[in-house]
Amino acid sequence: MNTTYLRMEVRRLLRNRRVLIFSMLMPAILLLIFGGLNKDQEIGGVSATAYLMVSLGIFGSMSTAIGGGGSIAVERGIGWNRQLRLTPLRPGRYVAIKVMLSLLMTLPPLLIVYVLGAVALDVRLPAGTWALVALGSWLGALPFAALGVVVGYVAKPDSVQQVSGLLYMLLAAFGGLWVPVETMPRLMRDVAELTPAYWVGQVARSPLFHGSLGVHAVLVLLGWTVALALVALSRFRADTARA
Amino acid sequence: MIVLRNLVKRYGAVTAVDGLNLEIRSGEVVALLGPNGAGKSTTIDLLLGLARPDEGSATLFGMPPATAIARGKVGALLQSGGLLPDLTVAEIVELTASLHGKARPVPEVLRRAGIADLAKRRIAGLSGGQQQRVRFAMALVADPELIVLDEPTTGLDPEARRAFWSAMHEETAQGRTVLFATHYLDEADAYADRIVFMRAGKVVADGTASQIKGLAAGRTIRATLPGADLAALAALPGVDQAEGRGEAVLLTCHDSAAALRALLAATDARDIEVTGRGLEDAFVALTLEGAAA
Ligand SMILES: Nc1ncnc2c1ncn2[C@@H]1O[C@H](COP(=O)(O)OP(=O)(O)OP(=O)(O)O)[C@@H](O)[C@H]1O
Ligand SMILES: [Mg+2]
Repeated sequence: MNTTYLRMEVRRLLRNRRVLIFSMLMPAILLLIFGGLNKDQEIGGVSATAYLMVSLGIFGSMSTAIGGGGSIAVERGIGWNRQLRLTPLRPGRYVAIKVMLSLLMTLPPLLIVYVLGAVALDVRLPAGTWALVALGSWLGALPFAALGVVVGYVAKPDSVQQVSGLLYMLLAAFGGLWVPVETMPRLMRDVAELTPAYWVGQVARSPLFHGSLGVHAVLVLLGWTVALALVALSRFRADTARA
Repeated sequence: MIVLRNLVKRYGAVTAVDGLNLEIRSGEVVALLGPNGAGKSTTIDLLLGLARPDEGSATLFGMPPATAIARGKVGALLQSGGLLPDLTVAEIVELTASLHGKARPVPEVLRRAGIADLAKRRIAGLSGGQQQRVRFAMALVADPELIVLDEPTTGLDPEARRAFWSAMHEETAQGRTVLFATHYLDEADAYADRIVFMRAGKVVADGTASQIKGLAAGRTIRATLPGADLAALAALPGVDQAEGRGEAVLLTCHDSAAALRALLAATDARDIEVTGRGLEDAFVALTLEGAAA
């Protein structure tokens, strides 16, 4: 593993604090609005604020992970990827570094949502449930990190922000991160199940309902991760165009 | 070391590289010369595996380019881009070094590229010439056997150019192979053992600087001739081209003696000067030949 590259990426991230701040802002604001509106409600026997907190945490980590890979489009635009092709760095390593960076980037939005949930919305969960929820939401960002890499290769540098923005909004809306799947009409639920966002939701929210991670949902999510990672790798290989 | 066989690369209607054959041996320092759009950068892309040829093949060290690069045998400086603006000079060179298995110490390479004093500066804040030197450091840090440079001194001031080439001299003294594309004829003349002249995607001349100059063995006749008929002059025996310069005419000739006789017989030309050509004239002549064809 090339730790120097990851270290440099983290430095770049810390120098671009705007990106970090925006990644936390949107889920935090949505949580305060939706959570405030649904206080003292229940969804499927679970406190609505806890439910929304988990969903919006996923929204934050998902949007950040997609955006993280999207930065590849900008790097391609400035010819960095051609430069990388002049080094022995292997495609798999590069994608792995980008995915790891995206995973690191999802920590601040997750953290802010959980802190706001506990402090402002009085969400109370057993420690084990907190841990499982956080772990599921964090690792559940993996397929989106891979999806971000794909976006980074497919999108143009000047439109990548809009493309990833549209993508995560659609995923959040149809995958049941903004509107609880339990309250969706049958047809919308069927559509939701086609999105990876739905399955992260199922994974990360399952501890709220039965204190453990749902195995079926974890497997579906793994499938999404592998599939999107393969697409990401093939995009890296195909990418040779001069910037 | 570098073997390019019948390379063809098309971009839509443009054939950027058109059946190019080139072989470069270990230890050679080769200049790739040619006008804008000749296909120099495209050739470099093809031999580095950054673009896939439509026909033909490129091999480095007898391997596909990607394999040679994976073994850390190649360092390259591309014509543009390739820098992360939010890293510092030392960081991006260290990063490049870390991606290569074996690498030279970063401070030494920064010194060699003349940017030791810029080590802690962000790339984004550097001038064009300073960024060019960062690219040079990135090409050197892997300690490569083959260095490929696409217009390495573009944007450098005369002092920096001199420093760049003296650094390159020390590098090649250790037996490295160098291929560089350039528009600076004096650089090709002074630093290359061999000049490959490209035009319209093909190699049109290949040899030492003096051989290339010899290709433009013709001479230029300059004479004062008010109201000259340029078309008639161009049709004179021995003349390739006639240009007007105010009252004067400039005749590019392959046989200056025949041209001179005909010129004197046919016109009232005065103040006649005949000059031989340097590399610059060879460049112009080789470039024009294609435009006429
Ligand atoms: N990606 C591309 N898409 C379309 N045309 C291209 C592309 N890359 C190069 N070309 C065309 O191919 C031809 C050769 O370009 P190339 O960049 O290789 O020339 P060059 O010799 O390096 O020129 P210069 O001296 O200006 O750098 C030009 O006509 C150029 O417009
Ligand atoms: Mg070029």
